Amino acid sequence: MPKAQGKIQGTEIVTERAVRAARGGDVAASGVLTPAQRAAIFLSRIWAWVFLGLMVLFFVVAVPLTSGGSVNFLTNRNFQNILVAIVPVLLLGLGQTFVIITAGIDLSVGWVMSLASVLSALAIRGSFNSGLPLFPSVLVGFAAGVGGAAAVGFVNGVVISKLKVPAFIVTLGTSFIVRGAAYLMSENTTVIGLPEGIRAYGNDALIYYIGGDGGGLYFLQRPEVGGELLRRMDIVLPYPVIVTAFVVAWAMFLLHRTQFGRHTYALGGSMDAAVRSGIPVDRRIIMLYMLSAATSGVAGCLSTLRFTAGSSVIGDPLLLSSIAAVIIGGVSMSGGSGTVIGTVIGALIIAVLTTGLVMLNVDAFWQFIVIGAVVIVAVLIDQSRDLIMGRPKGGIRR
Amino acid sequence: MSKRVLTSIFILVVFLTTSLLAQAQFKKPKIGFLPGVVDPFYQVMQLGVEKAAKDLGVDVVTQIPPTWGVQVQTPLLDAMVARGDLNYIITAPTDKDQMVGPLKSAVDHGIKVITVDTFLGDGDYVNGPVKFPISYIGSDNVEGGRIAADGLGKAIGGKGTVYINSTNPNVSSVEGRVKGFKEEMAKKFPDVKVLGPDFNLDDENKAAQQTAAILTREPNLAGVFGTNVFSAGGAGTAVVNAGLGGHVQVVAYDATKQAIELMNKGVVSLVLAQKPFDMGYMAVQFAVADAAGVTSLPRRVETGFAIIDKENVKDPAVARFIYQVPDK
Amino acid sequence: MSEPLLSIRNLTKIFGGLIAVVKMSLDVRRGEVVGLLGDNGAGKSTLIKCVSGVYHPEEGEIAFDGKPAVFATPMDARRAGIETIYQDLALANNLDVSANIFLGREVKKRRFGGLVQTLDDRHMLDQSRNTLDSLQIRFAALVEPIENLSGGQRQAVAIARAVYWDAKLMIMDEPTNNLGVPEQHKVLELIRTLRERGVPVILITHILPDAFAVTDRVIVMHRGRKVAEKATAHTNAEELVQYMVGAREDAAA
Repeated sequence: MPKAQGKIQGTEIVTERAVRAARGGDVAASGVLTPAQRAAIFLSRIWAWVFLGLMVLFFVVAVPLTSGGSVNFLTNRNFQNILVAIVPVLLLGLGQTFVIITAGIDLSVGWVMSLASVLSALAIRGSFNSGLPLFPSVLVGFAAGVGGAAAVGFVNGVVISKLKVPAFIVTLGTSFIVRGAAYLMSENTTVIGLPEGIRAYGNDALIYYIGGDGGGLYFLQRPEVGGELLRRMDIVLPYPVIVTAFVVAWAMFLLHRTQFGRHTYALGGSMDAAVRSGIPVDRRIIMLYMLSAATSGVAGCLSTLRFTAGSSVIGDPLLLSSIAAVIIGGVSMSGGSGTVIGTVIGALIIAVLTTGLVMLNVDAFWQFIVIGAVVIVAVLIDQSRDLIMGRPKGGIRR
Repeated sequence: MSKRVLTSIFILVVFLTTSLLAQAQFKKPKIGFLPGVVDPFYQVMQLGVEKAAKDLGVDVVTQIPPTWGVQVQTPLLDAMVARGDLNYIITAPTDKDQMVGPLKSAVDHGIKVITVDTFLGDGDYVNGPVKFPISYIGSDNVEGGRIAADGLGKAIGGKGTVYINSTNPNVSSVEGRVKGFKEEMAKKFPDVKVLGPDFNLDDENKAAQQTAAILTREPNLAGVFGTNVFSAGGAGTAVVNAGLGGHVQVVAYDATKQAIELMNKGVVSLVLAQKPFDMGYMAVQFAVADAAGVTSLPRRVETGFAIIDKENVKDPAVARFIYQVPDK
Repeated sequence: MSEPLLSIRNLTKIFGGLIAVVKMSLDVRRGEVVGLLGDNGAGKSTLIKCVSGVYHPEEGEIAFDGKPAVFATPMDARRAGIETIYQDLALANNLDVSANIFLGREVKKRRFGGLVQTLDDRHMLDQSRNTLDSLQIRFAALVEPIENLSGGQRQAVAIARAVYWDAKLMIMDEPTNNLGVPEQHKVLELIRTLRERGVPVILITHILPDAFAVTDRVIVMHRGRKVAEKATAHTNAEELVQYMVGAREDAAA
């Protein structure tokens, strides 16, 4: 394999000019940022974290104040609720993150989640009724839900990469097809008749905690208590949250530590460069859209377990929230940048906001206004980086 | 300190002590109200809830889901439970099976549940599969469906084709209406062919589209049954747009101002008004009674209908059941 | 030495209604620098993109290193040993220097008992630093996205990428575009060094002094055709300009 051997006459003068330019703060010529610019860039990267922190602080203070001390924001129960609430939006947003980094978009995620919910419900019901024990039935359900979802993603990816149709249009089209399929398969109603045991998979937790007298810490098994003890029981780490945490961790690994993730960023940075460097662009695009659909599939399966029913309408309201979470998290719609943890923060912001408003006894509709404003702020901050670096608006067209 | 400041402090102290004493005397329950979705029916129900709250001196925390569905209703329910200060939740479950889990969880946390308008399981909280709610307060929707069938069957002369446009699957209220309608039609007007139901998922535009499609397909369509606010509104609009007002009889469940307007125009021949105000008011009453220790509350209350047609629509005794929210 | 490394015969490339390259034939031998000249739209970039696997020619044959070559993808050409520095550099702005140098051919490392493959960033960073050092290019920060770098620095990254992969044939499309005068000289020295090492270079340029400085042979294209092929020593600027603007054409060049 290659190595540059021997010394080639230097290009030192390139850097001399750079150093002179750097002293003058001219980023374009020097490639070096002044401390002030560095600080501004840093702030623009962490603003979502700061906003989340401020919002939490606000609710922690305001909720007890407005309720006369009877309601508290800072409780374990509330925290666990928020974690459970972000599960569907976050899972939809994870795959979406990858796709949007490549300057694409997946508008079918909401309906793919619905389809997966229906498929998994049908599969669980079918396999349980034909004699399979509970846990294997659930596995079959997952396989059906995630597998069906990935198939849709495959179709998306093929049409986008091979037929060169824009992602917006393709995923819009498949979202309608998937929606119809979900309705037809569920025969236009909720898929019920699932074994009652799966409710435990969808709602139980790893740890149970009962505070006060007669309480204790319980692992894995829901303690059979009633009355006062039951009232005080708190769950810690519900199973859906654990599953989601694994998916998030895997997504982070995939994006930041593997060649696939590197290529994802490359596709977003410059499709041309990716093609000419020999990246198998078509294969990558297909994998990306399969990934996006698969995470939505997981969300659909978890929803089936949680509500012990398959619903064909369950994903519809979540599509736009998932995109909002991704944008708030700092993924640029023009591609090339973004992180998984950003999307997690974005989803948290949405969930904390909704919960906090309910606790303040404010009409939850305000959440839409606030989220819309935050999304716009996110985009403005993203574009402000160009300004900070002294570049012409809109970035340099290279 | 000035006299004014002293007087204010004195009044404040008096107020605080009396209210504290008052609180200590009887345990006022704090009630959460979580209806199905934003629409005139639930808005009138909210009026009932608020009036009862005022009359009985209790606090109510209200959250109204922007769209119909368990994915939207459940996070709001969870947040209300997490508040930790609610004793009762009055709710219209958006799915009779899927909401069992989340509401059971609320009960586990010490909150009692009263269902209004829609029920869980099969609505029989004594012998049925779901027993934990205190009561179901709502219309006997199956009976309502029968009344609608009677009205429509008579209006179309006992023969022809009719179409049902409904909202969401697996919701007890509209399911009951469809069931009652089909049963009565089969029994009393066996020559009438019944099409549908189609589900418009609480989207009035979709209801209009679906009805328009049926109108084109069945040129001899004689009647339409819209099973709730959005269904009736959409179906009525479609009939008007097709120029068939007066020729196709529309029976509307839920007496919105829009439905009454259509009745005055001759498009709708029968409107079934439920009594959401009663449902809301009584639900709060039940909560207060239960908190005071009453144990013989009925597990099911049927709030009845007002049947509105062209003859009695101007009668104030009937018109008061039209769903209207007074301008603030 | 006499057998050409790269041999193109009658290559034609058509884009819909536009005929970009018509029946181009061209040889490149080891150790020579061939200049490819022509005005804008002459078809130079299109031709070399057919060689580097970005485009697929409608007609014609390419032979590389003694074997017929059909490059279905750019990676095929890179694997065969053809490295290209494109006019627009083909760099990913959002990635850093070492990521760009290794773009498409990232080095991986097995972990957890061979179960997972992760990027070996450390190795790539070290290798990149070595290459840049050997070219005597110094950057302030190797791990920042290259979008902050100047035109000259980005050119240096593109050159470093091509140099690192130890090509058998180097294609450079207008490599001195973004550079100041001293840097341009450095690039020309690099080309001479490559030739000394036996690595042939196809140099596309419209800067005639550059062509005269380093090339052994020049080929002029006009409207997709070869209109002249001369040994550099046997021609002059005036003549070449005439060929470039189409005022003159050699028959069956």
